Amino acid sequence: MTFRFLHASDLHLGKPFGGYPEGIRNRLREARHAAIGRLAQAARQGGAQVVLLAGDSFDAETPAPDTLRQALRAMAEEADIRWIMLPGNHDSLAATELWRRIATDGPANLKPLLDDSPVTLADDVWLLPAPCTQRRAGRDLTQAMDAATPQGARRIGLGHGPVTDFDEGDGRTGIIPPDRAARSGLDYLALGDWHGQRQIGPATWYSGAPEADSFKHDGPAGALLVELGAQMTARAVPVGQFRWTRPHLDLLPGADVRAALTRALPTERARDHLVSVTAGGRLALSDRAALDAALQAAAPDYGWFAADLSALQVEARPDDLDLIDRAGALRHAADALLADTTDPQRSQADRDISAAALSRLYSFAQEVQA
Amino acid sequence: MKLRAIELTNLRRFAGRRAVLSDLGDGITVLSEPNEFGKSTFFDALHALFFERHRSSRAPVKALQPHAGGAPEVAVEIESTQGRFRIHKRFLSRAQARITDAQGRLIAQEDEAEAWIDRLLDGGLAGPSGLLWVRQGLLGLEPEGNSAADRQDRDRNLGTRRDLLSSVAGEIDMMTGGRRMDAVLDRVGQEMARLATATGRPRAGGEWQRAIEEAERLSRAETEARDKAARLSGDLARRSEVTRMLARVTDPEAARARQAALTQAEEAHQAARKHADRLAQAERDLTLARMAETTARQQIDQTRQLSDRVTQARETLRLAEARAVAARDRAEALALRDAQAAEAHRQAGEVARDLRGRLSRAQQARLALAARSRMADLTHRLDRAQALQAQLHADRAQRARLTITPKAMARLDQAQTVLDRLDARAEAQAVIIEFHADGPLATLADGTAVEGAWAVPGRMHVTLPGFGAISVDPGSGRGAQLAADLGQAQRDVARALQDCGAADLADARDRLNRATRLDDALRQGAQALDDLAPQGLDALHEALALATAEAADAPADAEDAAVLEPLLTAADTAEAQAQAQSRSAHEAATAAGEARADAEGERRSAERALADVLAEAGSLDDLAARLDALAATLPDLSARSAEAARLCATLSDAAPDLTTAQAALSRATSAAEQARRDAETMERDLAALNTRIALLAEEGIEETLDELSGQRAEAQARADRYAAEMAALTRLRDTLEQARTRQRDAYFKPVVRELQPLLSILHPGAALQIDDQTLLPHALTRDGQAEPLDILSGGTREQVAILTRLAFARLFAQAGRPVPVILDDALVHTDDDRIEAMFTALHRVATDQQVLVLTCRQRAFQSLGGTRAHVRIEDL
Repeated sequence: MTFRFLHASDLHLGKPFGGYPEGIRNRLREARHAAIGRLAQAARQGGAQVVLLAGDSFDAETPAPDTLRQALRAMAEEADIRWIMLPGNHDSLAATELWRRIATDGPANLKPLLDDSPVTLADDVWLLPAPCTQRRAGRDLTQAMDAATPQGARRIGLGHGPVTDFDEGDGRTGIIPPDRAARSGLDYLALGDWHGQRQIGPATWYSGAPEADSFKHDGPAGALLVELGAQMTARAVPVGQFRWTRPHLDLLPGADVRAALTRALPTERARDHLVSVTAGGRLALSDRAALDAALQAAAPDYGWFAADLSALQVEARPDDLDLIDRAGALRHAADALLADTTDPQRSQADRDISAAALSRLYSFAQEVQA
Repeated sequence: MKLRAIELTNLRRFAGRRAVLSDLGDGITVLSEPNEFGKSTFFDALHALFFERHRSSRAPVKALQPHAGGAPEVAVEIESTQGRFRIHKRFLSRAQARITDAQGRLIAQEDEAEAWIDRLLDGGLAGPSGLLWVRQGLLGLEPEGNSAADRQDRDRNLGTRRDLLSSVAGEIDMMTGGRRMDAVLDRVGQEMARLATATGRPRAGGEWQRAIEEAERLSRAETEARDKAARLSGDLARRSEVTRMLARVTDPEAARARQAALTQAEEAHQAARKHADRLAQAERDLTLARMAETTARQQIDQTRQLSDRVTQARETLRLAEARAVAARDRAEALALRDAQAAEAHRQAGEVARDLRGRLSRAQQARLALAARSRMADLTHRLDRAQALQAQLHADRAQRARLTITPKAMARLDQAQTVLDRLDARAEAQAVIIEFHADGPLATLADGTAVEGAWAVPGRMHVTLPGFGAISVDPGSGRGAQLAADLGQAQRDVARALQDCGAADLADARDRLNRATRLDDALRQGAQALDDLAPQGLDALHEALALATAEAADAPADAEDAAVLEPLLTAADTAEAQAQAQSRSAHEAATAAGEARADAEGERRSAERALADVLAEAGSLDDLAARLDALAATLPDLSARSAEAARLCATLSDAAPDLTTAQAALSRATSAAEQARRDAETMERDLAALNTRIALLAEEGIEETLDELSGQRAEAQARADRYAAEMAALTRLRDTLEQARTRQRDAYFKPVVRELQPLLSILHPGAALQIDDQTLLPHALTRDGQAEPLDILSGGTREQVAILTRLAFARLFAQAGRPVPVILDDALVHTDDDRIEAMFTALHRVATDQQVLVLTCRQRAFQSLGGTRAHVRIEDL
């Protein structure tokens, strides 16, 4: 018998996105909440009735009441879906208040996993959970997946945390052995913690977050529709509303900066994009000014837009400086600033100031000319 | 262009005449003429020639006309790069303009001549004349009035300067960036003002300040939220712990275990207690048995001790009695000796007293004897003293009568001497009458009988009785004076004698001698009296009375003190010895008496002690019987003690540790109690924690904290971006201003290069600052202080004006357009020293510059040097 389920994780409901302006901040928060509905829809479309949430469903150990209640209600409204919620490191079992409230207010179609006892999902389908007991348990909780289940039953592991052969880069060392599925005789190991979709082993996957929350993972956010039949298959299902993209421009003098920028920027559903443009290489003053103008022109199209041009060097040519002035004090000033930008006696910060000053001079000179 | 000659015809005061100023050379030419000569007329004429059209009838042209009217004419011979030319203009009537060359050929006339002149001046009306030709009375660098003409002049001059400097240094606007630079700087200023104040701090209410304030506000909120989150986190952790601990404490299994332990402890404790009681009883029995045995032993010992004590007391009494007897005997012996010593002492005392009495009488007799001797001496002295006193008294009385003093004597001597001298003189000068009568004839001179020769001191009447009288008058004059002097001298002598109290000189001398002798006698007498009675006669009288009384006091039966004294000494010694012996004997007796009393006391004590012991013990026989009886009971008592001890040992060996059982019971009891209290406390804590957690959890504090952190970071980044923007704008502004200043300095360099050396001649160390707009100096810097030109003295301003013109003249020359400098009565405010310095400056310039100086101050300008020009006046 084939059993299908949707593997998702890291909803981080209630994540505040405080570093973003109010408009986009609210939209991002709303999108996370709406992910519940989209996950349910994806499950239905895939013929699944169970959604496994592999941890970090909530961003905080004590989420705001409306965050929690509205999430629980959203899940309740997807009454045909069974939500299985594993405590992750952000919403570990140590968040006793949270799990108390979920126990009190949670809908009937939500099952919180408060210990590592195997749970039956369907006939002959058992779930072996490894809930996070603390934010940092410091040990391999997935050992519990060795627990016995009835002979011949399908065994699905559900865990949260980094795998030992790579780390998140946030200082946590890996705990879960990459061959846990094999070791514990699992048909599938559903993991959470990594926000990007990633396969670890033949039967081990990180689903990634259903809604992206940083520029770290470029691909579309979504979940995994897993089918345990004769074989195990896992199919990516895009679910996310927002795309976070970080286009990089490598520029040289004479480049058509506008065209380069246009090529790099997403064109569809710009409003649902968060874009962080970076640029490297060298540009003439005029081209730099053109790039600035192009970035400024493009920005309002997107949900959020930023450009980091700190790695872009200004290469001022005589033509450029001529545009400021051919001779006289203006030209002298421009020459002096340009010399400062490459003066090894000056600190990098100082050179950057001179470069910025030169760009301003260029802009103002064009302005007054006009 | 250089001027070579100027010719005025029918111009102002040169009406109907021609005034020619010729042979104007290179360098300095001085036209030095008094006021009203017409020097300025030359100036004005030149000006009109070059700058007024020949057909003009403007005021400057009309001003050239003489009173009588007619047409003024001006001609100038100039030398330019093209050669030598003569420019001639006639104004007002039959106006005319002609240019001819050195050969007299006509080059241009009328309007073409005007055009030729314009070209010559290379800029037409905007020529350098206003720049370089210092009109009389023009103090400053340029015309200062507000009339249209003045403004026009100023603009023209500015244009000329600008052109000149442009040709030498380039266009100022080009160099400094001009309006474009100003506009860029304005933009920079606007952008900076949007963000910051003039001092570079964030502007209140501006974007930068708002970003900073926002970041600060968010930081504070974040800290607050973080604290709350920390508290929440702490409470949650604590609650988990408390819940866990409460579960442990309230675990039923644990409770049962605690109860079982308690029961067991109680039973063990009970058993231990019973055993302990039995053991205690056995111990009490043992104690009793031992006490009985001990009591028996003690009684035996006591009885033995009593017996010993009786024996001891008897012996003590015997010894005490013996000692008492000995002490008594000794005391009696010493008392006897004491009495004897006292008697000896008394006797020795009597002997001494007797001797003392006898000696006293003897001494008294001796004293009386001495007093009698003293009496005789005193009487003698007294008599002598009294006699002496009487003598002194008489001498004093006598002396008192002699009033003469050595000084009075001296005066007398002197007066007498004068008188004698005068007498001698009078005598010498006196008329002497010598009359010898043949018979007995009495002669009377002034009634006084005379004979022989006599002097006639003055008018004298000599009478020869019976014969008649002769009046003799020696005459006045010397004689009269002499007589007067003589009279005075005689009066002086008489006064002196009166002062001396003498009749005459001999008497006075005698009186003085006597007085002197009396003084000596009085002195000696007083000394003698003093020797006899130093304290006075009264004291002598008293001493005598005392001696008399003492002498009367002699006892009748006095012995010899010299014999008695040694006897008394011996008696005193004997008495002292007897006294010492008596004292010593008495002390010994007293001590012996005390010892006797002590011994007696001891004997009585011993007696009493024996009585007490006997009262206690009864007789010695009774004691022995008692002792035997007690010894008989001892074995039985010992056996009973041993038995009781054996029982105790057995029980003790088998005794369970009551303390341990007690401790176990306490522990079990307190464990149960503690568990109960812990449970209560934890339940209370839990309730409180739940309340706090519920409150904080409702706030969604973690979400808030995350949000605030992000917002703060973003706000800080924004503030940092503004700061970076300000840094860039500041850098830009500073760089632009520096570039502009450097360019400006470069622009003015040619002027400064010419002007500075000239300025140093007059004001060493000073520098001029040039204004960008007017291209003229506007401030003079001396000793680091910059002073605007308009506050400087007239002299300094005048000097600066001329030096500036000279500097510009040199620039013109360098640009290939030499123009003469004309100074019309300049340097009127400059002091003599500075004038000399100005002359030096002029000469410095004149090496390659034509300078024409018109002055009325002939003396002052004498040392200028240069070529003296003269005006030739010709009649027409």
